[in-house]
Amino acid sequence: MGFAQRLAASEVTVADSTGALEPGAVDRAIELLRNGVDERTAAFLNSCVRCGLCADTCHVFLADGQVESTPAHKVERVARLFRRYRTLLGRVAPGLVGAQSVDEEVLQALSAAAFGRCTLCGRCALNCSVGLDPAAIVRFARTLLVAAGLVPGGITRNIEAARATGNTMSLTARDVCETITWLEEDLRTTVGDPTVSMPVDRQGARVLYALNPRELKFFPLSISAAALIFHAAGEDWTLSSTDFDITNYGYFAADADAGRDIALRVIARAEELGVEELVVAECGHGYRTLRWEAPEWLGRRLPFAVRSVVEVMADYLAAGRLQLDPTKNADPVTLHDPCNLVRNGGVIEEQRVLLRHAVSTFTEMTPNRENNYCCGGGGGMLAASEHTAKRIEAGRVKAEQIRATGAKVVASPCHNCIDQLMELNRHYKLGLEVRTLAEIVADALVLPTRHEA
Amino acid sequence: MSFSSVALALALAVAVGSFAVQRLRLVAFRAPAPLAPARGSAAAGVLYAFTKAFAPGAKESASRHLPSYVAGIVYHLSIFAALARLLATLLPVPMPPAVDAAAAVLFAAGLACGLALLVKRLSDGKLRALSVPEDLLANVLVDVMVAAALAVSLEPDLVPLFQTSGVLLLLYAPLGKLRHMLFLLTSRRYSGAYFGRRGVRPAPRGLGSHRG
Repeated sequence: MGFAQRLAASEVTVADSTGALEPGAVDRAIELLRNGVDERTAAFLNSCVRCGLCADTCHVFLADGQVESTPAHKVERVARLFRRYRTLLGRVAPGLVGAQSVDEEVLQALSAAAFGRCTLCGRCALNCSVGLDPAAIVRFARTLLVAAGLVPGGITRNIEAARATGNTMSLTARDVCETITWLEEDLRTTVGDPTVSMPVDRQGARVLYALNPRELKFFPLSISAAALIFHAAGEDWTLSSTDFDITNYGYFAADADAGRDIALRVIARAEELGVEELVVAECGHGYRTLRWEAPEWLGRRLPFAVRSVVEVMADYLAAGRLQLDPTKNADPVTLHDPCNLVRNGGVIEEQRVLLRHAVSTFTEMTPNRENNYCCGGGGGMLAASEHTAKRIEAGRVKAEQIRATGAKVVASPCHNCIDQLMELNRHYKLGLEVRTLAEIVADALVLPTRHEA
Repeated sequence: MSFSSVALALALAVAVGSFAVQRLRLVAFRAPAPLAPARGSAAAGVLYAFTKAFAPGAKESASRHLPSYVAGIVYHLSIFAALARLLATLLPVPMPPAVDAAAAVLFAAGLACGLALLVKRLSDGKLRALSVPEDLLANVLVDVMVAAALAVSLEPDLVPLFQTSGVLLLLYAPLGKLRHMLFLLTSRRYSGAYFGRRGVRPAPRGLGSHRG
């Protein structure tokens, strides 16, 4: 059986619920292949030698064992199209070099592979023996699919909501203020300190703390935890009732226009409030987009620093602004490294320093840090319901990693990962508690008495 | 100058010219310099990518597949040596016998590794599923050239045969998979700079908190 036939056969097994193509979709994809491939992507596409040594660096392949899940196969899907439109042999001898023309079937299969078999975690890039970045190729594939209108509906709907309302959950300023008021009262009662406050829309604060809207809707305790930490550290901070959403489904879709529009809302709000620093809540891709991608999308440097709240908490600790008692968190804890914060963001040691001070027993997963495995929920997979089965299957690698540590608590500084870890916890019966870093640090806080303060 | 030497010189010019055109065409599509403040050093990342990242323990693709990785390294070293030996045939200076003898060992080892990798590609179901016909062609063209280098290192009268294999390889190289010899350098530079700027590789020491 020839390569093209084998590919066609393999595509039958791939979930495909992306719907029919829009008119002109194939032409737009071809135009992008002909004129929209940058130097970096072209170099990567010309570098893969199909050695296949990347296969077991990918959690999706480790979980399903299918060749279609290897990074090399995902790269090859795009490289075949690139060769057809950008190389001499691809035009005159496509069978020899495995070049393939773009058509509806090819794009549908590419969509299933790019959105259903890859979380853009980049572990393959760190470990490719040649030195190319398969995740960047899958991102390019997604850009092709944006042009062709073949992005999973869940991702598209989140982009539309963020563009229309300023956040993916369509929360109004009133919703935010009501929730924060309730959280503030609750926090004051819980800690017995009426001076704890959660300022909103305070002009001239040093720090704007920007949120994942899921926190407001489903995980408000993580906001309370951050508020308590800011209070304990004596930070001059504020929340925003509008344009506070750090999530960015434009990034997941590899749609630079949408990514820029969404990121710009938070950035403009930070500029409006005149803050010195934008502190991003525990959200891996939110950090990556605002810290690393947004300046490139906008074509300008940002007038304020962008840091993860994990970095900020670690700085407070180093500066003696937080006192922690590790005995307050007695259960053994392990740490999941979000790919966008760690492998693609460089925030590697801060969370470890925090845990060593905040919990009695901290056990690393194997492997860990930048070589840790993806939880399986990245790259927009959580929003792409058509790929749910594959997402849970791919999470088996993470579930086994966690189980091997013997931990009772898994910490993760990313709400996207936390959603996935909670689902893995149920599915694989891990019997864990899944928590954010801020929640763990807040529980370990030794607060000064009002007299001491 | 023999016919095969002239043909080799022309093939070399065509290959170099073709690679240069391909490379220059891409420069127009180079992304602007990154604007996000670096957390680490792009230069350190690039240096790492071209040095320590080649160590067998640096990447899982190498450490988990050590025989294949070592075979690949030996194969490529033999290819570079064979290309150097090929260019040397254009010079009016005979190769010292001691150098030829040492090179023969490398060529033999490289040829064995190249053939072993070819057998692996044909026999491993997953690798076969990743392959295209050109994978076979490219491997055979290179193996023939390395085999010819081995032959010349043992029998200098076979230079025309070696040069002919070199002509075929050089004319094909810019067209297909063998282009990775050029683009690999760019790929490694980009990946090295990416992980270097973000403070991921080389692995950081201690806290890397950066205020931008």
